[in-house]
Amino acid sequence: MKTIDEFKTYFDAQMYPDLLVLDARRKKVLTRSTWVVLITLGLLALLIAIYHTIGMSAAAETSITIYVIVAVLILIVAGVSLGSWARDKTFYSDFKAQVIERIVNFISPDLVYEPKNFVGSDSFERSRIFLKSVDRYKGDDMVRGKIDKTQIWFSEVKAEYKTTTTDSKGNRKTSWHTIFKGMFFIADFNKHFQTSTVVLPNRLGKGFLADFFNKMNLARKEKHVRLEDPDFNKHFVVYGEDQVEARYVLSTSLMKRITDFRERHGNPLYVSFVNSFLYVAINYKRDLFEPSYFKKLTNFLLVKGFYEDIYLAISIVEELNLNNRIWTKQ
Amino acid sequence: MEGNYLVLILVGVIALFGIIGYNRLVGLRNAADKSFASIDAMAKKRYDLIPNLVATVSKYMEHERGTLTEITEMRARAMSGNISDNEKVDLENKINKAMGGIMVAVENYPDLKANQNFLQLQGSLNEIEEQLSAARRAYNAAVTDYNNACQMFPSNVFAMVFNFKTKPLFEISEVERQNVDVKKLFG
Repeated sequence: MKTIDEFKTYFDAQMYPDLLVLDARRKKVLTRSTWVVLITLGLLALLIAIYHTIGMSAAAETSITIYVIVAVLILIVAGVSLGSWARDKTFYSDFKAQVIERIVNFISPDLVYEPKNFVGSDSFERSRIFLKSVDRYKGDDMVRGKIDKTQIWFSEVKAEYKTTTTDSKGNRKTSWHTIFKGMFFIADFNKHFQTSTVVLPNRLGKGFLADFFNKMNLARKEKHVRLEDPDFNKHFVVYGEDQVEARYVLSTSLMKRITDFRERHGNPLYVSFVNSFLYVAINYKRDLFEPSYFKKLTNFLLVKGFYEDIYLAISIVEELNLNNRIWTKQ
Repeated sequence: MEGNYLVLILVGVIALFGIIGYNRLVGLRNAADKSFASIDAMAKKRYDLIPNLVATVSKYMEHERGTLTEITEMRARAMSGNISDNEKVDLENKINKAMGGIMVAVENYPDLKANQNFLQLQGSLNEIEEQLSAARRAYNAAVTDYNNACQMFPSNVFAMVFNFKTKPLFEISEVERQNVDVKKLFG
């Protein structure tokens, strides 16, 4: 895999010239938007000033209406100019093509990037990581392709469920709750297996009570699997349909690799093994792969951040040694 | 009269705990036995591969003929059924060692290493090896649960009363230990 130094060289030589152009467009949008906001505020202030000096003398009822109409007109003109004159319609898609797609292609030319596509909700539910049924599901920034022998897919996804409450007056209120937000990754696993094994973050820690509640787990058909690696158990709790197959999938070396991966990147990590596929869900609070008008695109540190987010997902293949195809599955 | 009731309730409660404790021990013991059976099943699966391996390899390997016949004989003995558990473990260890030797010897035969049939067999063997190790780990986990119940209070009381004995853990075999003996490698 590529090092960060190689990426810096690539950034300087291949990406920087185009990013200069893209960043100029970003600045233009920012400057124009600032002008619109300043002029609008100025005009509104002027209007209020006029109202206070001469407006009062006229017949109060009608003049207020006129002032309100003028204020609304100013706001409409401001809104329209923000949406047209101060807007760059292709900035967003050009950012995706020139930054995210380039990074993906740099990491591996065998990968395809589809900005509007995402890992489907059927795959999300098939993973058996989150059992809550999904009411709203969206995502973007899909990357798919083959890393050596391993087929992978991943994208940003957000899954939510809703609750509806009715208050004493009979008003219905719907609220949305996040089930998962972050990166969802699927890979063709290097071993065959039929049952499901789920590795969840161990939120309860160690000790008798933690063990008791981890073991209980009423919601799942999978039973608690007690594994022998104490470092692994500190971070994770495992449920599997088959005690032997769970251990076949989670070999001692894979447990070590998952623990290392978790310790290195720090975010809560969910892993599952279903029907010879590996599913990995990595929680993120922030949005992934999105540009900001307030951040300089030519800044290497910013682009490096995008690079590291993508690299993290792709590196799962190597970190978990998925290209090690020494079993019958090719 | 009241005293009698108290005694009755006490006896009832003790009997209830006894039943729950007994059933739990039986459940844990059965889980351990079941996972022992799965080790057996995996071992048998591996025995099934041996004739194939021998057939493929013997065409190429001139110097290892002796080892190959030995493996075939050991397999036949292990499969025959009328041997004790200890002998079985012993035979399995010997087969392990011989198979390991063959896999190392393969390095000297480039033709064999490129043989599709052999590569597939090697994949299957690796797979079964991994399954076997998974089955042993599952057995050890089940036995640890069972042994804990036999030795920890209060279930140890029922284990003593109903004569539940702890079971031995599956230890890493002598052969496997030798494989990772670094001192010998560099000594």
